[in-house]
Amino acid sequence: MTGALPGVAPMAVPPGAFLVVGTLLFAIGLAGALLKRNALLIFLSIELMMNAVNLLFLTYARMRGDLAGQMIVFFVIAVAAAEAAVGLAIFVALFRAHRTVDVDKIALLKW
Amino acid sequence: MPALNGQLVVFGFASFLALAFALLMVVQKTPVRSVLSLVVTFFGLSVLAILLAAPFIAALQIFVYAGAILVLFLFVIMLLNLKEEAADKDDRPVQRTLGLLVALALGGLLAGATLRAPVPPRGAPTGTPIPLPDEIPALGRLLFSDYLLAFEVLSLLLLVAAVGALLLSKRRFE
Repeated sequence: MTGALPGVAPMAVPPGAFLVVGTLLFAIGLAGALLKRNALLIFLSIELMMNAVNLLFLTYARMRGDLAGQMIVFFVIAVAAAEAAVGLAIFVALFRAHRTVDVDKIALLKW
Repeated sequence: MPALNGQLVVFGFASFLALAFALLMVVQKTPVRSVLSLVVTFFGLSVLAILLAAPFIAALQIFVYAGAILVLFLFVIMLLNLKEEAADKDDRPVQRTLGLLVALALGGLLAGATLRAPVPPRGAPTGTPIPLPDEIPALGRLLFSDYLLAFEVLSLLLLVAAVGALLLSKRRFE
């Protein structure tokens, strides 16, 4: 299943190991997104989670011998770039209005 | 098989680097240090991508993530002159513990689920086998044939994002 495809060398590293690394990275990113109080760092943690998912996509692409997984990663990276530009601009605007990016202090929509 | 062992060593090193610096990113109190730790994580991830026979994605990861997105983060952090996170007075211990618990539980659940999940059989309509020597040309052909519409929409999205970012950071919200 993992390396028997024609033209594809067998995987020296068991694919499960990649999957574990990916999910661990995702969990670390989630912990960061939940624990951080700085909006920028929460955003950064989300970037890490996206990269963890990208690793899973690449692993499955390799396991299936299918380039579609790599295409998806390509699109995820490009959309992440667009999202980072807009998100950071929002944080700059937020900081201008409130002088802080601490999510505990930005509670305009809370009550 | 020495070559295979070499791959294992590289995998172990890269994944250790990625995981350790990701943890550092979360633990770090200074935003700049968090971003710099994440750069190392992304380098580790790009090594893993090479191990997974995806050299194009690996290069993209370095160029776009480490090169562009994280530098953008650094710029904004320095522009806003962000200091350390408010020192650990820990005004919400309950939420903190809960958040940690949720992350741990979800991480364990996901690890178990992904390890058990069966890989869907190959042969879907878009399934293109990866010919290792000319993988990047194959990617390029795929990008400009099957994914042409998505690619064009993507370029439009990037343009809109650039204009939106300009507008957002220009206008004053007082």
